[in-house]
Amino acid sequence: MKHIFKIMALLVAIAALWIGLLQTSMIPQSYALLLPIYSVVTLGCYGLLMVGVGLMQFPTCPQEALLLQQDIVEAKEFLQRKGVDVGSG
Amino acid sequence: MELADRAVGFLLSFISISIFTYYTFWVIILPFVDSDHFIHKYFLPQDYAILIPVFAGVTLLCFLCTFVGFVMLKSKQKAK
Repeated sequence: MKHIFKIMALLVAIAALWIGLLQTSMIPQSYALLLPIYSVVTLGCYGLLMVGVGLMQFPTCPQEALLLQQDIVEAKEFLQRKGVDVGSG
Repeated sequence: MELADRAVGFLLSFISISIFTYYTFWVIILPFVDSDHFIHKYFLPQDYAILIPVFAGVTLLCFLCTFVGFVMLKSKQKAK
């Protein structure tokens, strides 16, 4: 329950900030009205960007992959000798 | 295999950056430009700047609710 209260408090704070911004009219009215949607779109874009960048920088370690395959073959042989049903795939 | 990953990552980043640039341009810069500038041809009317994200958000919400309901129904059938 406490977590929901924290999230709601954050939302109320953001809404209060937005209404305050609308009232003081430091920015033209049309901009202030569009601000929440713009923030949501920017947040989504930022998330996508982080996923894309992470994908591009992901290291593959080919030597470790080879060692892993060897380990798998070893383990399969061992288990088959002991009588456990391995089953491919 | 990592080339495919790199390509997908690059495509995602490119899509996200292009969407961000287009949307920023649309919402922030375009109201300052005179109405008879040629650049207005490349951008839809301003009302769509609100409609499209709201529509996408509502579609996503509906899809999520449908998916959750579907999974719940399936698990109930299995439990019987």
